[in-house]
Amino acid sequence: MPQKNVKDIEKEDVLKGPIRAGEIDFGFRKEIAASPGGEKLRHCYQCGTCTSDCPIARFSDSYRPREIIRMAQLGLKKRVLSSNTLWLCAACYTCTDRCPQDVEVASVIRILRNLAVKGKLIPSPFKELGKNIVETGTAYRIPELRLKKRAKTGLPPLPKSNIKAIEKLAEATGFSQMIKQSD
Amino acid sequence: MQKGEKLNDSQEIRIGVFICHCGTNIANTIDVKKVAEYASKLPEVTFASDERYVCSEPGQALIRDSIKKHNLNKVVIASCSPRMHEPTFRKTLEAAGLNSSLLEMVNIREQCSWVHMHEPKKATEKAKALVASAIAKAGLLEPLYPLKFKVTPSTLVVGAGIAGIQASLDLANKGFKVYLVERAPSIGGHMAQLDKTFPTLDCSACILTPKMVDVPRHPNINLLSYSEVKSVDGFIGNFKVVITKKARYINEVKCTSCGVCAEKCPVKNIPSEFNLGLGKRAATYVPFPQAVPPTYTIDKENCLWFTKGVCRVCEKVCPANAVDFSQEEQEIQVDVGTIIIATGYDLFDVKQKPEYGYEMYKDVISSLEFERLLSAAGPTGGKLVRPSNGIEPRKIAFIQCVGSRDVQTNPYCSRICCMASIKHAHQVKEKHPDAEVSVFYIDLRAFGKGYEEFYARVQQEGVNFVRGKAAEVYKEPNSDNLTLVFEDTLLGEVQEQEFDMVVLAAGLVPRTTAEPIQKMLKLSLSPDNFFLEAHPKLRPVETQIAGVYLCGCAQGPKDIPDVVAQASAAASQASIPLAKGEVVAEPTIAYVDQDLCCGCKVCESVCVYDAIEVEATDENGKAKVNEALCTCCGSCVAACPARAITLRGFTSEQISAQFEALLKPAQQRD
Repeated sequence: MPQKNVKDIEKEDVLKGPIRAGEIDFGFRKEIAASPGGEKLRHCYQCGTCTSDCPIARFSDSYRPREIIRMAQLGLKKRVLSSNTLWLCAACYTCTDRCPQDVEVASVIRILRNLAVKGKLIPSPFKELGKNIVETGTAYRIPELRLKKRAKTGLPPLPKSNIKAIEKLAEATGFSQMIKQSD
Repeated sequence: MQKGEKLNDSQEIRIGVFICHCGTNIANTIDVKKVAEYASKLPEVTFASDERYVCSEPGQALIRDSIKKHNLNKVVIASCSPRMHEPTFRKTLEAAGLNSSLLEMVNIREQCSWVHMHEPKKATEKAKALVASAIAKAGLLEPLYPLKFKVTPSTLVVGAGIAGIQASLDLANKGFKVYLVERAPSIGGHMAQLDKTFPTLDCSACILTPKMVDVPRHPNINLLSYSEVKSVDGFIGNFKVVITKKARYINEVKCTSCGVCAEKCPVKNIPSEFNLGLGKRAATYVPFPQAVPPTYTIDKENCLWFTKGVCRVCEKVCPANAVDFSQEEQEIQVDVGTIIIATGYDLFDVKQKPEYGYEMYKDVISSLEFERLLSAAGPTGGKLVRPSNGIEPRKIAFIQCVGSRDVQTNPYCSRICCMASIKHAHQVKEKHPDAEVSVFYIDLRAFGKGYEEFYARVQQEGVNFVRGKAAEVYKEPNSDNLTLVFEDTLLGEVQEQEFDMVVLAAGLVPRTTAEPIQKMLKLSLSPDNFFLEAHPKLRPVETQIAGVYLCGCAQGPKDIPDVVAQASAAASQASIPLAKGEVVAEPTIAYVDQDLCCGCKVCESVCVYDAIEVEATDENGKAKVNEALCTCCGSCVAACPARAITLRGFTSEQISAQFEALLKPAQQRD
């Protein structure tokens, strides 16, 4: 499967254009506020500190944590959960650290991602990464060629992943379930 | 105190009970007719009735008429919280010739109908129990008489910024003596540091100094500058205040303010407090040219004579012989009837937001420092220059809400910063029309009279208003300029822009130096640590401590028009007891049975109001209640091992009777 870059993901946003009345889900913000880390969602006053502090937003044309928070506040459930930019957060927590209203921006994004996965809205590259972890123990499948090159240059072999342990963990945490479910 | 006359024992108790519907508030849940009917059957109850609104004129007429018609001598009213209408009903009783303490109120609204809205049956039962309990107490009520105290017709005003000055002038003009205490060498406060005032752009000094000058000239004002309140004792009408007057080492009467001492003083590099460290002053100084009093002050911390034991040049050069190194701190005791707290604010310490680089970059300054740079009396003579290189700035950014609306520092809005920055932006444009000015805001709050119009005018002048809180300020290597990172939230774009000066619109915080007076007077603070008013809407300048009033930024951030209005309000409130000449206190206070008191002092240790004291005259000292200070809290009553203390209006017998009635099984109330 071809690797996608940030720009490709950004182009894929499903819902754009005017917001229709039926699109708003008033229970959505309650759902987020009920999850750990989402309690203070309603306090956001859209000052933009999160976005201007965000190392990703500086290099992205569309990733705006402030907008993600706004969509969540307004109850634009489908729009925000299917938004591909949701998956660009690097979880550095600068936004959470600097927020003048104590909104845990990165945690809200985590909650949204989990909801997206539950709703089978996980973008394929991320699903692929998840599968890789469960199957090989690393997020990235290392090509044979590279391993050979490694050996040639005299580097020691890479440590073997304990797939069984990972499988157990993935099973216990529901991770593997999630990956399968969103197929 | 006038002793409460006992009702003649042989006199029959005749109680009247009035149950209020409060429109539908009570009657929709509680069966008021049933409650009234139940009450009428109780012994000692002569008359019971229900009424749509007992507090209305017809309702009160019913009470008055019933008292006369049925010869009632006790009244029970079941209605809303006594906080609302107890004073109303007490007057009703008085109008009918009954002592106002012969009233017992039952709260069947807040404590019954509103909280049990969905259980009308049980609510009715509870109302019956509450009414029965009040009737049981009413039978034991005795007449009480309010206490009266004489008032010293003078006021202490703490702090001489614009708030304290206005309050003092108002009181003095009303004819009352005022002691105005200011800890700094000069009065004037923060307003003296401002260049212009929004939105009218009056020169701050021009409108303030006439008032400052009026203060020492006023025959009714005793100005105690460079002084601090050391202790306060007593109570409304009779406060005893000790004030420490610090030594200036220059005689206030002799000093002609010629300034030769400062000119010749060899220590000239002290950062000027008035100019926030942007300028320097000598070790002998006046904070600013229009200082009141204009007397010079020797700063003991930096004076060579005090630090190294040499110099005394000022003493030699002073043509008026005013320098006096032997001067000592003085203690002054004054008696006042009321106290006004006008201690003002501190500017938020912008170092607490390191992302804005205040300590790293010289060209990042606070709004008050910017004010000093604009002022003709400031360190640059009013020339707006960059502190780093002395060159005129061409691109200036104002960052709003630094230390305000930020749960990491202060959650509240400081109210003045939006308008202050708009004013600053205008002043930059006025001095350099081609300068680029940007204001970075979260929300712009132009709420006052003429404020929105001023905002529009400044927009018209070409100032950029960018909606977005700036994230950080940094300097590119080899650049003289500051880079500001922000999101223009209306565009949804992250931007970086270069500026040559960044002004942080710092919020207002409670003054740390006001803590001693807060502790002395036991004043409450609101969650933001500003002084708490007695009621946010209806008693905005009073405090919980009788005779102590608030005004200005001590109570919360506010702009000059609001401060002046509030100062006049505080002066007006503080003058009421002075004009009356006496204060009336609630008669419901503790009293000590001298035969039972053993002088163990337990009561003394539990009273937080210092209202009870064991007289130290001889070994058998007895506890005595200071009737003006007692707040009827009951702590001493509960603590007294000899049960020698009783609360008038809440005696043990009365409370026991209430309990007995309440604890009766419900079946017995049918």
